[in-house]
Amino acid sequence: MSNTLSYPELAALLQARAGVSVEPSALEQPGAQFDEFGVDSLGLLGIVGELENRHGLKVTSGAESAKSPAEFLELVNASLSAKAGA
Amino acid sequence: MTSRQQGRRAVVTGLGVVAPNGVGADAFWKATRQGVSVLDRISREGCTELPLRIAGQVQDFEPQSAIDNRYLVQTDRFTHYAMAAADLAVADAGFRPDAEQPFAVGVVTAAGSGGGEFGQRELQQLWGQGPKFVGPYQSIAWFYAASTGQISIRGGYKGPCGVVASDEAGGLDALAHAARAIGRGTDAVVAGAAEAPLAPYSMVCQLGYPEVSLAERAEEAYLPFTAKACGFAPAEGGAMLLLEDEQAALRRGANVRAHLAGHGATFTGASRWEESRDGLAAAIRIALDEARIAPEEVDVVFADALGVPAADRAEALALADAFGPAAERVPVTAPKTGTGRAYCGAPLLDVTAAVLAMEDGVLPPTPNVTEVCHDLALVTGRARPAELHTALVLSRGLMGSNSALVLRRGERP
Repeated sequence: MSNTLSYPELAALLQARAGVSVEPSALEQPGAQFDEFGVDSLGLLGIVGELENRHGLKVTSGAESAKSPAEFLELVNASLSAKAGA
Repeated sequence: MTSRQQGRRAVVTGLGVVAPNGVGADAFWKATRQGVSVLDRISREGCTELPLRIAGQVQDFEPQSAIDNRYLVQTDRFTHYAMAAADLAVADAGFRPDAEQPFAVGVVTAAGSGGGEFGQRELQQLWGQGPKFVGPYQSIAWFYAASTGQISIRGGYKGPCGVVASDEAGGLDALAHAARAIGRGTDAVVAGAAEAPLAPYSMVCQLGYPEVSLAERAEEAYLPFTAKACGFAPAEGGAMLLLEDEQAALRRGANVRAHLAGHGATFTGASRWEESRDGLAAAIRIALDEARIAPEEVDVVFADALGVPAADRAEALALADAFGPAAERVPVTAPKTGTGRAYCGAPLLDVTAAVLAMEDGVLPPTPNVTEVCHDLALVTGRARPAELHTALVLSRGLMGSNSALVLRRGERP
């Protein structure tokens, strides 16, 4: 696994942790919002937990309340690269 | 039942069943009428080596085909059953909620144990791997209120919502609570109860109940009102009903299946079965008073039928106390001996059977029970034809709640 979270990986996590089936390309659409896919904050919190356990790091707080996939990826990947650079 | 706004009456327009003897009201009623017993060895993973052997397990239920995965990942089996039963009830009633009136539909459920299977899985993560491995849905999935919340969210039902936690008898109390919401102005309430107590942690909890049957053989596990009574076999599942204001139901051309005519509830203390005699008799009197009917008008009693000798005796005496001489004649039945007791779901299955019995003109029998050792006209063996206008459903909980609900048949369309 690469050290950044990609849209396909996010789609897989949404499926596993939030029970939501969504195409990576739909997540990537400009203006895409979690709301429209039926992803709630508890679902995102579960994904944050999974990523933290997987990578052994703390994801920037606020990621679980991100409104859009783009914002979520940005916050998570900032945490991942901060760890890689540390 | 008693309403604050004049003329508003709660009626049953839809039945949704997820029961050990059938999913859907038709399958459930066919098996209930035939007196089929589906009690069997518990086969669920992690449950087969415990001293509690016999129960009623829901068969032929695929959560994935009934419920969107988004709801499945965040809910326990008890909520899967409740959501599926709610869908069935709404469909059975031919009810299409008006998207412009989201506050016109409420949800009320009762729950006895919540989501034990989901909770166990997450607690194993906690102790096995640590707090960071507990999923956030644990915060809602185990909780008694989960089914009400998820049915409300899924259906967009934003009217009065509630959860009744009053023991097994809470199944009847939830219907009364829903009827009060209808009396205060809500047009429809999805109401009922479903349970899922057949998971390892939940099973171990039940081993602490002296009333649970540890019999090895299915046909001997649950024999209320007999000399061989040795406790009750538990079950999973339950039923949800669509209750509506009678006028609202008639306006949309719905079939009024039954009226919720009266309800009474009392409390006499955990496992104090002798005292439950007075409590149950009082609940019956309150319910009959509210329904404004005399005991002679009751055509069938769906008994609580706990299967514990002291409790069975108390129930027979409570009926005699409340009914007087009519107690010797009124037919009593306990179809739950064929399915087991699904805690709060049990009285809901009885209410469903009562509605269907009145519609069909049939008294369903008490499976496995033959020789009755109390003064009760228990329907055993085969179903019997009977003209039924009024049914009384009784329920008691292990923690001391006693409830009675009077149902009257709807007008024939």
